[in-house]
Parts: sequence; structure tokens; C-alpha cells
Amino acid sequence: MTTQIPLVTLSDDQRDCYQELTNVAMGQAADRLARLLDHYVVLPIPRVNLIEISDLRMAIEGARDGDAISAVCQGFIGNGIAGEALLLFNDTSYTDLARLAQYPAKLTHQDQLEMLMDISSLLIGACIQGIGEQLEIHFNQGHPVILGQHCDLKDILNVSHQKWRRTLAIEIHYTMEAVNVNCDLLLLFTEDSVQRLNKKIDYLLD
Amino acid sequence: MPNSNIDMGDIHWLMDILQNIDTGLVVLDKDYNIQLWNGFMDSHSGISPQLAKGRNLFKLFPDIPEQWFRQKAEPVFQLRTRTFTIWEQRPHLFHFKNYRPITGRATSMYQNTAIIPLESIDRSINHICVIIYDVTDAALAQQELHHQQQEIAKLTCVDHHTGLMALSAWQHQSARELAQCHRAPTPSTIAIMDLTGVNQLDDASLACVFGIVSRALRHTDMATLLDPNHLAVMLPASADSDVRFFIERIRKSISRKIPTLSQQHLATGIAQANPDFSHLNDWLQAAQHAMQQARQQQAEWISVHSSAAE
Repeated sequence: MTTQIPLVTLSDDQRDCYQELTNVAMGQAADRLARLLDHYVVLPIPRVNLIEISDLRMAIEGARDGDAISAVCQGFIGNGIAGEALLLFNDTSYTDLARLAQYPAKLTHQDQLEMLMDISSLLIGACIQGIGEQLEIHFNQGHPVILGQHCDLKDILNVSHQKWRRTLAIEIHYTMEAVNVNCDLLLLFTEDSVQRLNKKIDYLLD
Repeated sequence: MPNSNIDMGDIHWLMDILQNIDTGLVVLDKDYNIQLWNGFMDSHSGISPQLAKGRNLFKLFPDIPEQWFRQKAEPVFQLRTRTFTIWEQRPHLFHFKNYRPITGRATSMYQNTAIIPLESIDRSINHICVIIYDVTDAALAQQELHHQQQEIAKLTCVDHHTGLMALSAWQHQSARELAQCHRAPTPSTIAIMDLTGVNQLDDASLACVFGIVSRALRHTDMATLLDPNHLAVMLPASADSDVRFFIERIRKSISRKIPTLSQQHLATGIAQANPDFSHLNDWLQAAQHAMQQARQQQAEWISVHSSAAE
């Protein structure tokens, strides 16, 4: 089936449109995070790219930046468009985030998990719903899955299952002012979803 | 369906679905009073919908941690976002029996929950719906897998010759401990013991020393053989003074078991991690340096590295 789908392409207009959609959605997400933590969240510029599976690993390695990370992923599907949101959370962020979220200063493993789930519910949920609203798609979300703490992501991104060659990735890097909190949100769509999404985008562009 | 309006007949079978679906559905208002309680909840809790309706969730189920649940539910009301909880956070929200009470391995049901906002006609959020999924089988399988992985990891990091931890695994763990110390200062300590004297005896004595050390370790402590003449122990969350006591105890046991070995053959250096150590080697060097001092001073045969001397 994969061979029948032509390789995904993206025109400049489409790219701009995706970027604009994401801007609106993540603005909502950042607003919610800021309200939850009562702290200013720096609004980043999302990066929209077509990536190969090998690039994905590089993107994730880049996000790790040598530090240990914790990762949560959550699948979403609606109107035949499916994908996964991946939240990569730098382990050095826990201390400052705990202070903002009013968690105890000495974090147990359990507290870290709670915090990770709270943040990911918020950011992933707001982003996906935000994009969905603009495209008039109701996305269903699966349950979040903890990919692990201090994990090795090569096991998750199993290259041997060549299920896709190239796909759409939206990368958002959240940081907060004056505190050491940073996390990356990656929205990845399946190859066949991109075709459908592009059609919706073209409709918006016309 | 040509007419999209739902008539009474449709409501009838919609209610049937709500009652029979094998997933828990609970609708709560802003004061956490139960507004809907489906068949799944009825069967598993033994509380009928008539009894549950209008009752406060936290009063009806005092074992639900109120603050925790509010923390998950408030964003749903205020931010219109969905939130999720998974069994890793808390095995269950409602304490229900396992669906397989006879052949199942768990006594209670593991649950994932999703909390979704419900919009009123005026678009405000006055109600939320808590959806409860039974994930017992997945949770047990996951736990079993995790347990097996840990066992395998344990097997690969044991040095079968000494029964202590393999050096590479020990170095890895100690480096992590040092990194942890950089983030939040916890007093972890390394002790290095000189085994030259024991090596001059027979292999049985050496095995005896390893046995004594292994038994003396707490669950989180780690010992390894740095080289044939040096034993290193890493004790997380222990100050150097505690470790000194620990080493004295080990040395007493050893000299009791092997009387030919006088204490002087077990010179020990102790170094507590401090943020000045940028690399594991710095920490090891500090402990080794202290061990040399212990050998030279000879008074107590134990020397503690002091960070002020650096």
C-alpha cells in the first residue's frame, strides 16, 4: 500500500499555512500553560518540515542536547487524519517547574510523573484541539504513554519497520522566561494523512 | 437517518448503549456532584445510579484523593482541555475488583481515565465526564516486562567472578550519582579499600572479603573491584561520617573471619561527592588520594578527603 502513495510534498504556501495554523494553536497552548503556572511563556516560532525517518532521530537527539529527557507520546486521529504528538521534556527542567506548579521542593519519582502528565495533557491537548478547530476536524486522543525517563529513543523509533518514508513534522520548542524550563513538542502526521491535510490546507488557501 | 433530530425512540437505545458499554462513565457538575453513573460503575461499585445521583464524589468515595483529582479536573472546567491519568500515576481512581476474580493475578482493577469537558447549550462548561477504562491486563503485562528487564539488567551488571557489580556498570551508576549531586546536593560517598594484603593470602580469603562486603551493603549501595588490589564502594545518600562507620564495621567483620589479616592491610580512603568534581575520575582520585594518606598516616588506616584541602 505504501508504494501506491506518492512521496509527500509541501509547497511554500502550504508550509506557511501550516506554520500559521500551528502559531494559533500553540498560542492557545502557551496561554493555558501560562495560566496554569502563572508565569510568562515565551512564544516560539514553529518549524514545519518534511522529514525522513532518519531526520526524526536527529531531531530528537538534537532536542536531548546531551541531557537526559523524559518523553510522553499521545496518538490522535480524526477525519482520517492520524498522527502522534511527542513531548520531550528536559530532565533539568523539573526543579524549576516544580516551584512554579507548586509541587514539593523535593520531587519524588511519582511527583515527576504527575507533573509530566499535567504538562503534556495541557500542551498536547491544546495544540491538537487548536489545529483541529481551525481545520474543522474533531480529533480523538488516545491515552498518553510514558516513553520513559532517561530513555533511549532508538528502541521506540524502530527503523526496521519501514512504515513510512517521509512525513510532516511540526516542531515547537517551548521555553519560559527567567527559569530553566524547556521542552519540545513534536507533531508527526502519518504519510497518508499529509495528503488529506494538504487538501484541507489548499481549500483554506483558495 | 433522514431526520437528524433525536426522538424518544433513539434516546431509548442511546441509553441502552450507555448502560451496557464496558467502560465507566461518570458525569460531574462543578461541585463534583455525580450527575450520571452508568451500568459499568453500578456493577463494579455496587452503588446504584439512583443512590449515586446528586451525591458528592469525594463523600461517596472517601478514598479518592480530593486534591489530586481536583488538580486534574479543574483545568478541564477552566481551560476546556481534556486531561488524562494513567495507571502508572495511580493504579486506579475507583477501587474496583479485577474483572477476572478467579484467574486474574491482580486483586483490583487498573484504570486509565480521561476527563473531558461537556459543553452546555450556552457553550459554558458546567459539567465534565470522567471515562474509566479497565487496563488491568495491559498494566500487568507491562509490569511483568519491566520486572524481567530489571532482572536481565541485574544479571548483566554482576561480575560473576567476584559476585560484586561489574566495573563498567558501577562507573555508569556512579557517574549518574555525581550528575545527580550537581543538580541537588545529596551527600553520596565513595570509599576505596586497599586489598593488597588480602591478595597475598589465598583465593578463599578474597572470596570471603567479597562476601562480607556484599552482605553489608544496603539495597542502593554498589561495590566493585576497581583493579585486583582495590575495592570501591559507592553509597548514595550517605555522608562521609556514616561511611566511616560502615567501613569500620566491615573491617571488624573481616579481621574476625581472617585473623591472619591485621587491620593495617585494609587502608581505606573516603570521599564525599561535591560539585567541584566535574568528572567521576575527580571523585575517584579524591578517594584514592585519601587512601594513600591513610596508608602513610597508619594511625587509624582510614582517611577522609576534605573538600577544603583542595
